[in-house]
Amino acid sequence: MNHLKIKGIFFSLLSYILITAQSCGGVPEETSADTSASDKVFAVADILTLVAEENDITRTLYTKGIVGAGKKQGLKFDEDWQDDDVEAGPLPALFLRGISSDIRKSDIPLGLYLGSDFPINASNKFQGKQAELFKKIKADQKPQHFYEEDQKLYTSMFADLAVAAPCVNCHNDHKSTTKTDWKLGDVMGATTWQYPSDSLSYKEAIGVINAYRNGTKAIYTAYLEEIAAFKIDSTKPEIGNKWPSKGFYLPTADVFVDSVRKLASYHSLEKLLLADTHKKKQTEGLASN
Amino acid sequence: MFSKNPLRKRQRLGSLIGIGIGIIIYTILPLKQSEEYLSLGPMNTGHEGLSCNACHTDAKGNLIQQIQSNISYTFGMRKTLADFGTENVDNKKCLECHDRPNDRHPTHRFLEPRFKEAIANINATECETCHREHNETRVFLANANFCMNCHYDLEVKNDPIDVPHETLIAEKQWSTCLQCHDFHGNHIYEVAEKIKDTIPLQQIQAYLKGGIDPFSDKKKHLPLSEEEWLKIKNKYTSK
Repeated sequence: MNHLKIKGIFFSLLSYILITAQSCGGVPEETSADTSASDKVFAVADILTLVAEENDITRTLYTKGIVGAGKKQGLKFDEDWQDDDVEAGPLPALFLRGISSDIRKSDIPLGLYLGSDFPINASNKFQGKQAELFKKIKADQKPQHFYEEDQKLYTSMFADLAVAAPCVNCHNDHKSTTKTDWKLGDVMGATTWQYPSDSLSYKEAIGVINAYRNGTKAIYTAYLEEIAAFKIDSTKPEIGNKWPSKGFYLPTADVFVDSVRKLASYHSLEKLLLADTHKKKQTEGLASN
Repeated sequence: MFSKNPLRKRQRLGSLIGIGIGIIIYTILPLKQSEEYLSLGPMNTGHEGLSCNACHTDAKGNLIQQIQSNISYTFGMRKTLADFGTENVDNKKCLECHDRPNDRHPTHRFLEPRFKEAIANINATECETCHREHNETRVFLANANFCMNCHYDLEVKNDPIDVPHETLIAEKQWSTCLQCHDFHGNHIYEVAEKIKDTIPLQQIQAYLKGGIDPFSDKKKHLPLSEEEWLKIKNKYTSK
């Protein structure tokens, strides 16, 4: 009997060791479990503000430098720019949608959308809570930060201004426009940004910025690929270092993205460093108490 | 010392038969030829001939690790469940082959709060809401009137069609949408300007059920074949 007991204990132990050795802590979780609470130095609203500011710079550069100047050189821009029979580039709103789509393909859980109370495409019209908050944004141009309870997402809305003549002219003259008296400086719509966590670590913040920047490069590259497929060679601008303001040219994706970075990086870096300094001061304050 | 129980022989024989059947099942079921018997139903249009593991890729970790992780989850010791056996087949998996830059209705668009009510009626954030697999069809939905969930207040200026969109919407003719418009926008074709020239509803319904494509045989982007997908997958996982 004792012999059987020893045998049982031996096999149980062996099974336990084998199972433990095999499982070795289970399957690693794909969440940011490696990020401790103390690493979460950024409030989500701050990072969404930072990336929304990068977006303003990017879209202004695209609208003025590519669409505005390009139209004067004969380049066309259309909402159906990806249709086979249309030889054109993306309008600024679709440029943003392209960025948004590319972000969604990444592993960064960042949502980006554009809407308005008078959109050209009816599906971009704000409804419900977004429509209510947009009224406030229109009145004071201040961002609105809220927690979208149903989706469990931290959400920020930022004014999208008519920053350049092409915004106003295209929207006023568009065959499907719902408003024809837009003026420079008007709040034409708002961008909505969403993120699932209330705070971000450095790694996560950099991930958000990079996802946005990669999206910019992806949609601009898609535009250049569309140009390469134009049937008539004379409608293809020269692609290199020069911008449409100098003639029938378009910058390469690298030149375009570098220009965005030159305009945006200083401001973004300052914000990231300031958050770090603020956090250190908080920690020192706590330590001295 | 002890006399052997006469039933022991039968026990051993039973065990041997059981082990034998187990080995046969373990060997035969994973074979490509057996996939048909394992499948929940016939594959959807265009997916015929796909291997099970084209979609049902192996989950991370071994089975024991997966069990351990899920036990930990049950006791609140981890935040997420681990996939067991094979990975969950989600949008990401579909988009590995079907991702297109010109998608007119990409699933992620519907994640925006403004589509909350529409999503409550039809969850357009998931591919499988319309394209549920193993149903030998293209679109799983019973009715093709889903456009009404978002476009119920559509206004088209300079409407090009002889029966204006406004009239079609007022008369709730939601099944006419697909007679002109390809939902994902990947077909290359001329859109009719007269209702009589549009694609007949029967042809659209047959197409949704897996029949002939009435829009066009030309598409701007083609999905990856299993071989192409495997090639790309191996390129990025072998390093």
